[in-house]
Amino acid sequence: MILGLLSLQPLTWPTVATALALGGVYALMAVGIGLVFGVLRLVNFAYGQLIMAGGYALAYGALWNFATWESILLCFGVVLVLSILMDRLVFRPLRTSSPTVMLVATFAVAFLLQNIALLKFGSLSKSVGPLAQLNAPWDIFGVQIKEIAVLAVGTAVGCLAILQLLLTRTPLGLHMRAAAMDFRTARLLGVRANRVIGAAVIISGLLAATSAVFLSVQENSISSSFGLQDTIIVLAGVVVGGMNRPIPATLGGFSIGFATGILGGVLPADKTQYLTSFIFAAVIVVLLVRPNGLFTRGGGAVERV
Amino acid sequence: MSLPRRLPEVLVPALLVLATAFLGLAVSSYLEGYFVVTLVKVAIVVGLYVFVGNSGVLSFGQISFVAVGAWTAGVLTVPRAEKPIAFPGLAHFLVTTNVGNVASLALAAAIGGVFALAVGLPLMRLSGLAAGIATFAVLEITNNVLGYDGAIGPALNGFSSVPSTTGIWQATIGALICIAVAYAYQRTRFGRMLRATREDPAAAAAAGISIHRQRLIAFTLAGALAGFAGGLYVHLQPLAANDLYLDLTFITLAMLVVGGSGSLLGAVVGALAINGIYTFFTAAVNKVDVFGWHLQVRAGTADIVLGVLMLLVLIFRPNGITGGREFSLPRRRRPVADLEKTRATT
Amino acid sequence: MTALLVENLSVRYGAVEAVRGLSLEVRPGQIVGLIGPNGAGKSSTLHAIMGSAPITGGDVRLDGASILGRSPEDVARRGIALVPEGRRIFGELTVEENLRLGLAGRRAGRNGDGLARANELFPILREFRSRQAGVLSGGQQQQLAIGRALAADPEILLLDEPSLGLAPKIVDVVFEALTKIRDAGLAVLLVEQRAQRTVALADESHVLANGELRLTLGPKDAADTDRLVAAYLA
Repeated sequence: MILGLLSLQPLTWPTVATALALGGVYALMAVGIGLVFGVLRLVNFAYGQLIMAGGYALAYGALWNFATWESILLCFGVVLVLSILMDRLVFRPLRTSSPTVMLVATFAVAFLLQNIALLKFGSLSKSVGPLAQLNAPWDIFGVQIKEIAVLAVGTAVGCLAILQLLLTRTPLGLHMRAAAMDFRTARLLGVRANRVIGAAVIISGLLAATSAVFLSVQENSISSSFGLQDTIIVLAGVVVGGMNRPIPATLGGFSIGFATGILGGVLPADKTQYLTSFIFAAVIVVLLVRPNGLFTRGGGAVERV
Repeated sequence: MSLPRRLPEVLVPALLVLATAFLGLAVSSYLEGYFVVTLVKVAIVVGLYVFVGNSGVLSFGQISFVAVGAWTAGVLTVPRAEKPIAFPGLAHFLVTTNVGNVASLALAAAIGGVFALAVGLPLMRLSGLAAGIATFAVLEITNNVLGYDGAIGPALNGFSSVPSTTGIWQATIGALICIAVAYAYQRTRFGRMLRATREDPAAAAAAGISIHRQRLIAFTLAGALAGFAGGLYVHLQPLAANDLYLDLTFITLAMLVVGGSGSLLGAVVGALAINGIYTFFTAAVNKVDVFGWHLQVRAGTADIVLGVLMLLVLIFRPNGITGGREFSLPRRRRPVADLEKTRATT
Repeated sequence: MTALLVENLSVRYGAVEAVRGLSLEVRPGQIVGLIGPNGAGKSSTLHAIMGSAPITGGDVRLDGASILGRSPEDVARRGIALVPEGRRIFGELTVEENLRLGLAGRRAGRNGDGLARANELFPILREFRSRQAGVLSGGQQQQLAIGRALAADPEILLLDEPSLGLAPKIVDVVFEALTKIRDAGLAVLLVEQRAQRTVALADESHVLANGELRLTLGPKDAADTDRLVAAYLA
């Protein structure tokens, strides 16, 4: 296998563009996951299921001949509702539990939602119809780059910029940042717990919906396991990047997406099925070398489970 | 601690297993299969418990050791003549090597243990979320490699011509062996030292206990038990790489959590109870008669019931059915603490 | 006219009773001290008032209305501000952001000048406005913590051991600020371990030991060391 690595395929612009796009989408997911973790101290394994739900919404929108913007609206609506339900029904009762219990609980939610989808929609995959046209390549300076890649990068940058403004320039953003650092003291100062948590859940949901749109265009087939693998990879990326701080977490998500995209393009043809192994092997190596996160300044608090 | 007083800790789980076995013998041969699967699951969950229950550290990688054990036992017991057809790309020495049933189980345990040791050496230094993700990564890599590498096994096709030597007796004995080993381990100095690190890592470290070493010992042992259980499993039904992946990880974790992750009894009770419920709802797809009351559900209901049940337990009784306690005679209760840490205040 | 009334308060953590039948009151323009040895229940009293400790008996009344059972943020928004033990500054936020965070505790419909008052009392806050709060010294952080509490324009100010870890000179600065705060009309409840200074500063000081009120002292008792020691060891 090592010798196989020597016969890497050449790096091309379309590959870089795809890698950037994937990195961008994963960065959005990382923020969604990181926000909920920061404010609720909860690792949401079921984040992928939000994306799955969004994907199904798009698929059904296409099936019912909605206009594209109507499908996207449906997607956002479904994901937001599911997000809020998840918080009310599962996260809230578990708020005082240990991190391990919460982790296993979200794992259970993920398992549950995936099987409900399997039950309701069957195991056949659905396509997202007209949205798939965004997979068509644009000609940029003589290079064929997929339209969706450009849109993804642009949207990711835009979303992150808006979010940064929200977090640094608004009172709500200030409250959220404080709550992520020290929830107890923030409450004692008057920061409304429910409002901050609700905001985190909603923003996280919006990001999930956005990711769903881009991921579903890329894959063009929605099944009950849609979004699961991506979530696992993003989670790994977030932990690798540095779970406790928003910027390292986002960078972690971006990096693992970018790395996945690049590796996907340069691995020799007979080794591409081992992409997952390469990525996760890298994850393990980084965790061993820098357990507190690749992009943190080191010396963060040791997390206990 | 006098031996006879602690004996119920291992006897009760063992008796539950035997009870299950006898029940399995009593029913029709069609239903007996469900009981055999249940017993194999008991073996898997007990292996999981040896590490997770004693250390308090969550590991998502246990099933990768089951998979490695299954692969070992499977590849070495498929009849020699069938190998070229069943495993086209298999490495030569694997094609020519065949062992008997028991030997294959022993080898499965050995390989599982070695793999766990190799993985655990670097990984046991991690804690919390990092440990969780790292063990998840091991699961992913194992699933990926076993699923595609034709030189070491059936790759995408999965096993199909492995002799089905795991009947009710082999499964029962297998489960009992796992329980005995788990019990023996937790009674040793090593087991107790590891539990000390679970209660209070700082104090344990201060007392000179090497957290890394104790976790590694448990991890390796758990890997060996998992490999053994994998060997049992592959001799029971045709397995593909994805059968030993996320779903099984979730289910065995659910069994442990619902039963009570802090105790051996919890592991066994959880496995029996959950698989019982799961099997019931799976069988109900084809309509069952429960004391004259007909029940039919759609396929996949079992998974949903399992998920909901798991959530309910986590919300209302996070210590599980047994509360993390071993079975002990009523005279003096010795509660064994559990996976969950002290609850946070407001 | 009473701003804060604590009546027969009992606080219990699991099997441990931290506060037993405590009664005290704080009026506007008054500093009430709460002193006592470690573990006496002083902090628990403050947290109970704020709604973040398990109250098993008694009542806490703000301007006559009971605030029992309210969430901490609710209590804060009703005009009670806490300066927590250890200051609990948000080190990664700037000084200005820390102060603005204090605005979260403002009472509805009141656009008071809390921020202005905070800046006035502690000039260094304006000077270090854009610096990360974590780089401030202990004394400066304490001033920030008090300023942050004042930003909410509260009626009642609770302080949990503000002099902890501070050099005597800085304690002077802090205690002087408290005098000004009192003179501005706030009701101040000051929990401290430095018995003598507190007794000298406060209009009245309660000695708490083992969760119970043992003794109430006035400023003139500040010099009476024997009485103080006796109260602690009672």
